[in-house]
Amino acid sequence: MGITLKGEIGMLIQESLTLQQKLEILSDAAKYDVACTSSGVDRKGKANTMGNAASCGICHSFSADGRCISLLKILMTNACIYDCRYCINRVSNDTLRTFFTPEEICTLTMEFYRRNYIEGLFLSSGILNTPNETMEKIYQTLWQLREVHRFWGYIHVKAIPGADPELIERVGHLADRMSINLELPTSQGLKTLAPAKTRSRILTPMRQIQKGISENKQYLSERKKSRSSPSLITGKQVITPDDSEFLPTALNSQALKPDSAPANDFASLTFDPSGALKYEENSKFVPAGQSTQMIIGATQETDHQILSVTEALYHNFDLKRVFFSAYTALNDDSHLPALGTPPPLLREHRLYQADWLLRFYGFTASELLSEEKPNFNPLIDPKCDWALRNLDIFPVEVARADYSTLLRVPGIGVKSARRILTARRYGKLDFQALKKFGVVLKRAGYFITCQGKMYRPLRFEEDFLTRELVADDKKKRYELEDTQGSYRQLSLFDDFHLNEQPDSSDLFKSLSGQL
Amino acid sequence: MNDITTVFCCQDNMDSIFTGIYDAWASRLGHSHVRLQLAAHYNYELFTKTVEVQPNPEKTEKVIRSIRTKISSEAWSMVYRAVLSQYESKADDIYRFLILGFHYGSCVTKMLTEPAVQRIHELNRFVGNEAHFFREFLRFDSMEQNILFARIRPKSNVLTLLTPHFADRISGENFLILDVGRNLASIHPANQPWYLTALTREEAEALLSRKPDQYRDLWKTFYDTIAIEERKNPRLQRNMMPLRYREFMPEI
Repeated sequence: MGITLKGEIGMLIQESLTLQQKLEILSDAAKYDVACTSSGVDRKGKANTMGNAASCGICHSFSADGRCISLLKILMTNACIYDCRYCINRVSNDTLRTFFTPEEICTLTMEFYRRNYIEGLFLSSGILNTPNETMEKIYQTLWQLREVHRFWGYIHVKAIPGADPELIERVGHLADRMSINLELPTSQGLKTLAPAKTRSRILTPMRQIQKGISENKQYLSERKKSRSSPSLITGKQVITPDDSEFLPTALNSQALKPDSAPANDFASLTFDPSGALKYEENSKFVPAGQSTQMIIGATQETDHQILSVTEALYHNFDLKRVFFSAYTALNDDSHLPALGTPPPLLREHRLYQADWLLRFYGFTASELLSEEKPNFNPLIDPKCDWALRNLDIFPVEVARADYSTLLRVPGIGVKSARRILTARRYGKLDFQALKKFGVVLKRAGYFITCQGKMYRPLRFEEDFLTRELVADDKKKRYELEDTQGSYRQLSLFDDFHLNEQPDSSDLFKSLSGQL
Repeated sequence: MNDITTVFCCQDNMDSIFTGIYDAWASRLGHSHVRLQLAAHYNYELFTKTVEVQPNPEKTEKVIRSIRTKISSEAWSMVYRAVLSQYESKADDIYRFLILGFHYGSCVTKMLTEPAVQRIHELNRFVGNEAHFFREFLRFDSMEQNILFARIRPKSNVLTLLTPHFADRISGENFLILDVGRNLASIHPANQPWYLTALTREEAEALLSRKPDQYRDLWKTFYDTIAIEERKNPRLQRNMMPLRYREFMPEI
């Protein structure tokens, strides 16, 4: 048995496992990561490479929990020096540790990809000895995948907080999307549950990537301009992007070459940051943007706090997505919900609904929640909830309302609002047509008029509408809440206390004929 | 005599449907007196006259050219997809759409309140969605000599929409996608253009001697471990990945 003892942590890392066993361990360890999307970048295929990318993202399968499988989501290693309380891979957990070599990751990715199992690679990792060492190993893997295997598909990679900015920069030129986990919505929560991590350590690389993306965009567009007018190019040699993309001719660091790097040893990798990579001059930096995720329900934050943080991340860090992960009780810890606590799926669902409202519907966090009303209504979705609190702007006349007003109507989405705008320029709208456009009339029906008519006669007051809408939402909510099979038949005797034993007063009543 | 409807019976292919549209139009009987039907689904009716459509590439060419020049290329791509759909009313649906199209021109695709336009959008969406589902759920098996082989059983004839995606994505691979229901296959030799051909399942499987693909097991391992037990939700899974797409997926 080839067991390596890692001096610093004293953690046993199992090397002599089969590929299948490693895959089982390292995908099991990665499954709590949520951001498995492959969206944000459009890229055509190219001769002598394998792969392309579609900006809508393509899901390739759906696991038993109904979540999409788009990318090969694995950890490079599940060994970690940190002891974050919520994490299954924390150093104090007694689990089998192993790691993938870059070759193994490349083989799995390429072979899965050509069979159309996956859309690309999602590579995350536990922290092996130091953040830099981990990031270097990730870089080496991506470099091999892009350079040796000519993989042209989607790559999502985690930036390791605390890693050298130079390293993050290099990885960014090979990946499509990068993400850094915010872990918990507030720095207080982070302090309690992940003592080794701090807010600023997480936000620094996030800021770096944000700046990198915008500078790279500007740089590339200027380059394009200067190329289109050849008189501007003087003296300097200009490399055409097609040839030089991902061709690191200036890669002078021998250690990064695939054959010279010892495959099974993490420690001996040396990284030489001198000499800028030539392909970086032309390649896009993190073209699909960055995302982050936070754990919901492990700490005491309110929905209002979570949503405000989300909004700030979109505004201040230009994130493409913020993901929420309902906390699954994995570790027995006094700071965390008890083992066996079901994950707060309904809460996660409400947060995602609100997240969509922020990104596509022009809502702000303060419109949806406030200090006085800090949590979402479990009975009703955030958009309906908002509409019921703002009945003064309803009903909306669909034949005249502008796009942003239409978007605020419950039951009208981005697509149906656009269809309404197009259709009403050429013809008269009626409810039948609205139905065909995908407007959900069982919700929208309460909030719109069409050619001056309501969908059906109703009392336009908050209590009445709330009752109607709650009844509507019930079925869906039930599905989310009751995946565990916790429901049971209502029983007249048990639920209305008819099984109680008669006491002395009952005897008395029966005597007097009052029972 | 004026009340008799003339039914143009076409086969379920592009040539026949467009020739039918041409003939119905050229018959000058009036749009309300003609109807198009797919022969396979048609049962003779009283008070109608039935005309068998003889496919004619020249007429097809004319109809296609008129759609592209007099309406728009967007309308053409919608009509093209509608032809691929499995609905038996599609020939007549297209005819009704074209009546409006040749009258209003390119804005017809935006006249969403017209039932005929709605119908074409509907067919179009159905075919587009199904093609996308197979982009997601199609699975290749690696056979001998590095040939990738996939089987699908779509309702619409999506091969021509599906194959360009894979030809772009894995251009350096030899692959074959077989539509099991239609005995139709698209064949892509590495780094060469792809083509369509008629091929039955038996023929295809005789061509490609099967060897067990070891990556099926690895993929199944990954698929099983990536699910979180505490979040199990088969209903959501079925919503996202309907049962009829799972026939040839190794993981389920």
